[in-house]
Amino acid sequence: MSLVQRNRIKRALLSLGAIAVVYGIAAEIGRWVLPHRIWMDVHYIDNVELLPTYESLAEELAFLIQSWILPSSILVSTGRILAGFLLGSVVGIVVGLATGRAARLEYVADPWTTLLRFTPALALLPLYVIWFGYGEASKILLIATSVAVVAMLGAHQAVRGVPQVYLDAARALGASPRLIFRKIVLPAAFPQIFASLRVALALAWVTIVVAELIDAKMPSLGYLLALAGAYPRVPQMLIGLATIGALVFLSDMLALSLHAKVTRWMRRTG
Amino acid sequence: MSSLIVLALAYTLLSNASRFIDVDQLPDPLRSTLRPDVLPPTQALVQAIVDLVRGPEKQPPPDEPAHMHHHVHTSDHVGVLLQQGVTLQTSLLITTGRVLFGMVVGAPLGILIGLLIGLSRRVDDYVHPIYVLVRSIPPLALITYIMLWLGHTEAHRLIPIVYAVATTMVIPTYHGVRDLASTYLVAARSLGARGWLLLRRVLLPAAGPAVLSGLRYALAIAWMTAVGSEMLMADNGMGNLIVGGGMWASRFQTRSDPAVVMVGILALAAAGWLMDSGARLLTIRLTRWAR
Repeated sequence: MSLVQRNRIKRALLSLGAIAVVYGIAAEIGRWVLPHRIWMDVHYIDNVELLPTYESLAEELAFLIQSWILPSSILVSTGRILAGFLLGSVVGIVVGLATGRAARLEYVADPWTTLLRFTPALALLPLYVIWFGYGEASKILLIATSVAVVAMLGAHQAVRGVPQVYLDAARALGASPRLIFRKIVLPAAFPQIFASLRVALALAWVTIVVAELIDAKMPSLGYLLALAGAYPRVPQMLIGLATIGALVFLSDMLALSLHAKVTRWMRRTG
Repeated sequence: MSSLIVLALAYTLLSNASRFIDVDQLPDPLRSTLRPDVLPPTQALVQAIVDLVRGPEKQPPPDEPAHMHHHVHTSDHVGVLLQQGVTLQTSLLITTGRVLFGMVVGAPLGILIGLLIGLSRRVDDYVHPIYVLVRSIPPLALITYIMLWLGHTEAHRLIPIVYAVATTMVIPTYHGVRDLASTYLVAARSLGARGWLLLRRVLLPAAGPAVLSGLRYALAIAWMTAVGSEMLMADNGMGNLIVGGGMWASRFQTRSDPAVVMVGILALAAAGWLMDSGARLLTIRLTRWAR
């Protein structure tokens, strides 16, 4: 590890530690200053900790883990993300590659892709609920749709971005269209497709949280948040938020390191 | 264009299939797909548009029961919306307003943070971890917590949008500044450019294209967040129109009418497309010097 890197890690830990300390102090002060009784539109709620102290957060966390609520929520939500992401990315990449390569296909598919591209994915949820019911299918398909749109655009533009010189050179040397596709188009388009998948992964998390909030059924992270909001139980709410944040961060890190690994053959600067 | 017309015709044929052929005799995936409540016929879509645009002006005469005056196609969903005085154009305007507010407040904020951490390595080292922490939390998940602090007001619909736009804008700005070829910087510095001049004449123009393409992406995110927060927690706007009124946990209690949902989606897509076209034109205009 170089000196610069060590310095960066030291500074990162320093600033995160400062945030943690500031929060702790604010929570301790807040316990005395902030109201415990809140007017919620139609009625008062008592015993609200707007900034829960570390003590009550730890208590809540222990309860959520012991009762197996948090682990099972994480498993269920992550499973939905994985299923939707796999389905959506495969479909999206295949369609994107196809429309990128074949102009006639693009002409046919263009109105659809434009419509899908400018539709906020969440707006499809009511439609999917009508079509596929409240269960698992509508949630997974919603994630798949939001992932597929991003992956499709990424793959399409990536194929279009392959320099014409490469294609001409390969054709002049007598390569068949299939060989060109496998040996030139795919490798050249790969980094951008992967980058779009990373964006899609972040989008998938946004989608799942809302889908689970609206149709809140046991057990999932969205349900955890909805439940915490209904009581309201602030420590549980913050733990839910932190869990989602950690999962988003972890999946992004995973995608980033995978990206670095599979594009190692490329020359990179910096 | 012609493929659009073909598409519309194909949809009309498909959605009206139950009239022309006996759907019940088809094998199962087809049979359940061609039900009218799955693919609302085109005339139902048009009817929904007409009802929603015209709004709740037509009052039935008091001596007759109200249900006799309803259209054949007018569903519960449209009925509930009309009772609330919701129309398509006002909903669209409200949502557009929220999106614009999010862009106007969130984009400068995000660009500012991006500039700060892009310009100074020291600030980057300290602030970037916090930014990653903040960015990882989906803005819509924050809604209930914001509501506890600020009560049931407009704020908890607007804050998630601002938050989403700001966090989206940081990265393109940051990379726009960071990836600036250092030869430019060295040349400008050695010619004596410093401070405001360096920022205005070298850094901002260089980061411009990245920032502008980031703006277009942020616009899409803003629409999605606006609709999501309205679906969850608002009594107006397009999100409310789509899920058919009601609040919070009672959402989806009314049976949604697929025609209204589709009309809503089409309206949202059209509005999103229009805004994106505007942003694209702006981008072309502002980066004309680059070509």
